[in-house]
Amino acid sequence: MLSFQALLGLGNEEARFVVWDLRLPRTLVGLVVGVALGVSGTLLQSITRNPLAEPGLLGVSAGAAFAVALMLLLGGSLLELRIGVAQLGALFGCLCVLGVSRIRGLGADPVRLVLAGAAFSGLLGAMTSLILITDRRAADEIRFWVVGSLSGRRLDDLLAVLPSMALAALVLVMVVRPLASLALGERASAGLGHHPGRLRLLAILIVALLVGGATAIAGPIAFVGLVVPFIARAIAGPELRRTLWLCLPLGPLLVLTADVISRRLVAPSEMPLGVLTALCGAPVLISVVRARRLPSL
Amino acid sequence: MLDDRSLSAAATRSPDEYRDCHDRRDASATPDGMWLLRSGRFSLLVDRRQLFGALLLAVLLVGASLAYLCFGEKPLSPGKIWAVFNGQGAMLDTFVVEQLRLPRLLAALASGAAFGLSGCLMQTLARNRLATPGIIGIDNGATAFAVASVVGMGLSLAPSAMALTGAATAAALTFGLAAGGGAKGGAKGYRFIVAGIGVGAIFAAVTQLILSRAAIDAANAAYPWTVGSLNSRPAGAVVVLAIGLALLTPVALWLSRSLSLMRFSDAVALGLGTPLRRRRLQVLVVSVALTALAVSVAGPVGMVGLLGPEIARHLCGNRQVPLIGAALAGAAVMVLADLAGRLMLAPLELPVGIVTAVVGGPWLLWILIRR
Repeated sequence: MLSFQALLGLGNEEARFVVWDLRLPRTLVGLVVGVALGVSGTLLQSITRNPLAEPGLLGVSAGAAFAVALMLLLGGSLLELRIGVAQLGALFGCLCVLGVSRIRGLGADPVRLVLAGAAFSGLLGAMTSLILITDRRAADEIRFWVVGSLSGRRLDDLLAVLPSMALAALVLVMVVRPLASLALGERASAGLGHHPGRLRLLAILIVALLVGGATAIAGPIAFVGLVVPFIARAIAGPELRRTLWLCLPLGPLLVLTADVISRRLVAPSEMPLGVLTALCGAPVLISVVRARRLPSL
Repeated sequence: MLDDRSLSAAATRSPDEYRDCHDRRDASATPDGMWLLRSGRFSLLVDRRQLFGALLLAVLLVGASLAYLCFGEKPLSPGKIWAVFNGQGAMLDTFVVEQLRLPRLLAALASGAAFGLSGCLMQTLARNRLATPGIIGIDNGATAFAVASVVGMGLSLAPSAMALTGAATAAALTFGLAAGGGAKGGAKGYRFIVAGIGVGAIFAAVTQLILSRAAIDAANAAYPWTVGSLNSRPAGAVVVLAIGLALLTPVALWLSRSLSLMRFSDAVALGLGTPLRRRRLQVLVVSVALTALAVSVAGPVGMVGLLGPEIARHLCGNRQVPLIGAALAGAAVMVLADLAGRLMLAPLELPVGIVTAVVGGPWLLWILIRR
């Protein structure tokens, strides 16, 4: 009740400060991050035709985080460049994953692709910590960012990342219909007059923009891109567009719930958001792997 | 190299032929590349390549250990170290060697050997080079419980005991979850590993949870636990590890005969008289215990469990399961990685877990891609 009053500009000074300056930006950031991660997970799974493909597991987020750490090491300053660099890093991670998945049938086996992704993101994570240890200034600037959390995010961060996210959304709206046809197979898609290769490249670009942007504001957060499409697909069935629509409410729901719990659970201190997403995401991963027949996409 | 076909060929020999093979017990019956040592009723087949590989690794290990004692913030010549061991060194030299470097070297040797050995055991058990304890989540389970005991949480049990509990829990989870899935055939090994990655992710999250519940200072002190470092080893854990290593290495060597057979299909191993279920359980217990004790000293430096057996297999060949080689190579990797971590960015110190992850990551990817 108090928070509603504060939101409307009523209430006392303290409540207004808490709501407008602390909790509202945090909630908005959570909204955007949840949507971006959920949608990019769905896209990545549909273009690799792999129900386990997830930006966090495959090293896309780790690529973005590593790129930012590298930039700090080379002397860049944090705010101006961070988003673009993170998106470049995410693009690099995406291309590596897809490149690897083309090699000798690695992409045909979803489970092995995840293994390669885990190895890749482990390597990038180790190199990121290497940089953090080497460079004290970089460590001070991004120590709280690199673990993945929504705490202390400001509206400016969000505004800086919105244009690229809007661009990604626009491109997605334009290609979503051909992308859905890709689920029928390359041939069927080509027969319908689309270009599978070009479509895939565009989808990767979208994923890189979304994951890079989300990582730039919230840090690398794993498993959201796995859980959200998993639930969405369970509700909506295999159709890509319906799954994507469902990701819009489900992504923020998961991220914000996890954030509230991580705020309350260890109050007054906080714990990284990735802890809770991992705790609910890893069982999903295990249950997918345990399935008698991997659900194919 | 034995395989199913040659065994079935052996099975179709006539009894006379069989007796012929059996009776030719002169030196010419010794398999290629082996030495037959015999005295009275006892005889031993020594794989030459394995012997030479192990010797090479031992020499490398001694060299690495010497370098470990020599280099550092205060470089010491080998002569000075010799003097220290004879009790004639200068005060400062003695302090540096006996108080700082030697305990850490011993911790690195013991934990590296334990990681290498347990990695080799687990790989053979799962018939998969990638199934090392670090990858299938056992390291993380041990770490979560060890951190819980270090940070406090009202538990006063020693880190080693807690790490054992955690490793056993993680192993039970991974194996239970993977065995329950009905997946058979080639993909099973990989599914098992990814289930292990999931279990590992859960325990890594639990570690983070415990750390973030603790006060900031305690959490800072516990940071090495999330990457693996020899800098903040609990005092008693090294002793427990040494005792465990002394007890479990003979058990592992005793198991090595069955291990060689377990690399074949179940039918072959059973047919040659291996009590497969019991042996599997024994191998699993030894591997998990070694991992847990090593983690309670050094944290989750799981890559050593991959790198050690890989190097050993290259040097010692694949005729037998290279347990000794894996232990030696693991110890050498650990010592060299920690030395590199101390020297590369001095005066800063890199945790050994990061060094091994940066070195081992590309190797892991290479194995995956080449398959």
